Amino acid sequence: MDMDMDMDVPMQDAMSEQLTPTINEDSNTTNDNNNNNENINNDNDNSTNNNNNNDEEDYQDIDFKPGSSGIADNKSSKPLELNSSNINQLDVWIEKLSKCEILSEDDISRLCKMAVDVLQFEDNVQPVNVPVTICGDVHGQFHDLMELFKIGGPCPDTNYLFMGDYVDRGYYSVETVSFLVAMKVRYPHRITILRGNHESRQITQVYGFYDECLRKYGSANVWKMFTDLFDYFPITALVDNKIFCLHGGLSPMIETIDQVRELNRIQEVPHEGPMCDLLWSDPDDRGGWGISPRGAGFTFGQDISEQFNHTNDLTLVARAHQLVMEGYAWSHQQNVVTIFSAPNYCYRCGNQAAIMEVDENNNRQFLQYDPSVRPGEPTVSRKTPDYFL
Amino acid sequence: MSGLRKQMLLNHLQKVQEVLGESSGSESEEQDSLGELPTLNGKPGLGHSALEVDETMPKEEIVNWNKFFTEKKMVNIADRAHNFNYYYSLPKNNNDRSIPIYIFHHGAGSSGLTFANLTKELYARMNEECGCFSFDARGHGETTSTLPVKKIRTIKYDRDAFVNDFKAFISYIYDMYLISYPKEKLSIILVGHSLGGSICTFTLTHIRSDIRKRVLGVAMFDIVEEVAIQALQKVQHFLYSTPNQFPSYKEAVDWHVSNGLSHLQSSAEISIPALFQKVKDGGVVRRTDLRMFSPYWDTWFTGLSHHFVTLATCKLLILAGNDNLDRELIIGQMQGKYQLVVFQDSGHFLQEDAPKKCALTLIDFWKRNDNKNVVIKSNWGLK
Repeated sequence: MDMDMDMDVPMQDAMSEQLTPTINEDSNTTNDNNNNNENINNDNDNSTNNNNNNDEEDYQDIDFKPGSSGIADNKSSKPLELNSSNINQLDVWIEKLSKCEILSEDDISRLCKMAVDVLQFEDNVQPVNVPVTICGDVHGQFHDLMELFKIGGPCPDTNYLFMGDYVDRGYYSVETVSFLVAMKVRYPHRITILRGNHESRQITQVYGFYDECLRKYGSANVWKMFTDLFDYFPITALVDNKIFCLHGGLSPMIETIDQVRELNRIQEVPHEGPMCDLLWSDPDDRGGWGISPRGAGFTFGQDISEQFNHTNDLTLVARAHQLVMEGYAWSHQQNVVTIFSAPNYCYRCGNQAAIMEVDENNNRQFLQYDPSVRPGEPTVSRKTPDYFL
Repeated sequence: MSGLRKQMLLNHLQKVQEVLGESSGSESEEQDSLGELPTLNGKPGLGHSALEVDETMPKEEIVNWNKFFTEKKMVNIADRAHNFNYYYSLPKNNNDRSIPIYIFHHGAGSSGLTFANLTKELYARMNEECGCFSFDARGHGETTSTLPVKKIRTIKYDRDAFVNDFKAFISYIYDMYLISYPKEKLSIILVGHSLGGSICTFTLTHIRSDIRKRVLGVAMFDIVEEVAIQALQKVQHFLYSTPNQFPSYKEAVDWHVSNGLSHLQSSAEISIPALFQKVKDGGVVRRTDLRMFSPYWDTWFTGLSHHFVTLATCKLLILAGNDNLDRELIIGQMQGKYQLVVFQDSGHFLQEDAPKKCALTLIDFWKRNDNKNVVIKSNWGLK
């Protein structure tokens, strides 16, 4: 059957994640009952987001430290200038990637170095002109991303703004993020790529990108390069001074767009604070600020959205981060729109995807689409554990 | 690093395959040796009536429960026709605005002591300012039926039976212990492992309304409806490859550790002996025969994911290994309906394999979601 090869992929993924060895808690496996807590490295970690407890051990390894890939060791003092040689190089890479073929590790390294010299000069609030097509989560669903460009029109003829979450969960995170980064470097003024909460060292170790890199490259080097690059992604964009775009939502510590400009964004996504909120928060039916059920960020009500748009002279907050069954969803009486661009998310949620076109006159139109049809589609096939108890 | 990690994964995989009898060689061996293992098939409520239990045997080889909990008691809940064995530690003082009370429900085939190490961690990290209650569900541990022997076979093990027991147990401990604390300070968190997660989720809406007001949230440990239901199809093989008798407690512990069913020795030493009891020949025999539950399996998990996602309370799901979610849980997670945490380096028994991380996560869950603790700081309108 033509499905067989694709089906192996998720199975292997699942097994390798399942079998990650115990390291931390074995520190007192002996019979002695003296529970010496000082020896346990989690003790000092009283941070709010426990998604990350198990990454402590990895951070003890020098190789897992931010910046260890070296892609930002020789940053340029001015933005990358394209010449015929690197344009040719990029076009070759884009051609290869658009066929869903990965680049070599060396090429990823070259690509990421070039990307640092593009992205480091972008603003925390990256200005974007109309017309532009605004997109939400992609999550490694490469073929659906190609479908997106068919529906929305090819880049660079159409301008694009992506609001983060390129990796994890889908089976082609490497191809997806490589493609988008290559497009960004090749057409820096035609495509904007913001950071999502999944563009993070800690999250990608749990939700698939790390394992995919290991599987496709045999080492974590490519994962290190990309996660080091993610630190440089801008965190918000401002379309024609009217639409504020970001992955998650608003923060109780960010009342004005200028306050976003003051943040130091070149870092791993923090567990709390304004930068975390911008990548994690959700709109809610309840007014005011609320504790987010996700364990990070906040919920914000219509009163908050209205005030934010009024204070900053905006017409709309556009964001992604939440799966919406129709691909887009208005909330807060059209003060906020959610856009989600991964159809049939995780190959099993049955949702439509959407993108939002904003034309020269700031008219908005949503384009919805279903999963791309292709042979060998990875069917949902997951391991069954030996227990149910 | 990656090479080492990979090698560890491979070693581990091999071990798991051996346990499961999946590699061609070991399967036949497993089955050959099975013939010699006495099984307890077809003896519901076994242990307390059906077997010759020798309570006079010295018990010094077992780690005692009192290293983990301050009290162990038995309560007869007449409505439920059982004597429930339970362990607890009460909050030491109540100066704080909020007192977290963790009420645990173990999974099928386990016992209240599966949460022993976790309770110890919680209690220590909270400076004894939290409560922990963990009981043996019907058919498990030292909990016994009060029905006459001839009626033992009528005992049900469907989800409703467990839910009604848990509900009654919660009412009992509330009236017996929690009532003496200022009720506005109580923040009850139901924590269930595996089947216990399902029981916690379905119990919440049935809890007596005055107690329900004090419930802050529900935490499920390593349970996903769709995966659990799929796994039921394989469980017979799992049960056949898991011995029910060992020459000693120590060998029972060693077997579970060396076969990868328990990853942390200090937890296995308290949780595994609780699953066995001494018999006349000096050996130990498993207390709970999971096969007697088989008529009820299909009631345990059905509708769980939907119910969990839509439950009107704070929700935490901790999974072991990877984020193996079903459709309802994925949509719920991607809509931000609950907190998902994954412990990649833990086996199924998270509370045993990763008690420190579980404790940190549960404390954080309480701190973060308790409006008695939290005031959301904002700088809006300050300028």
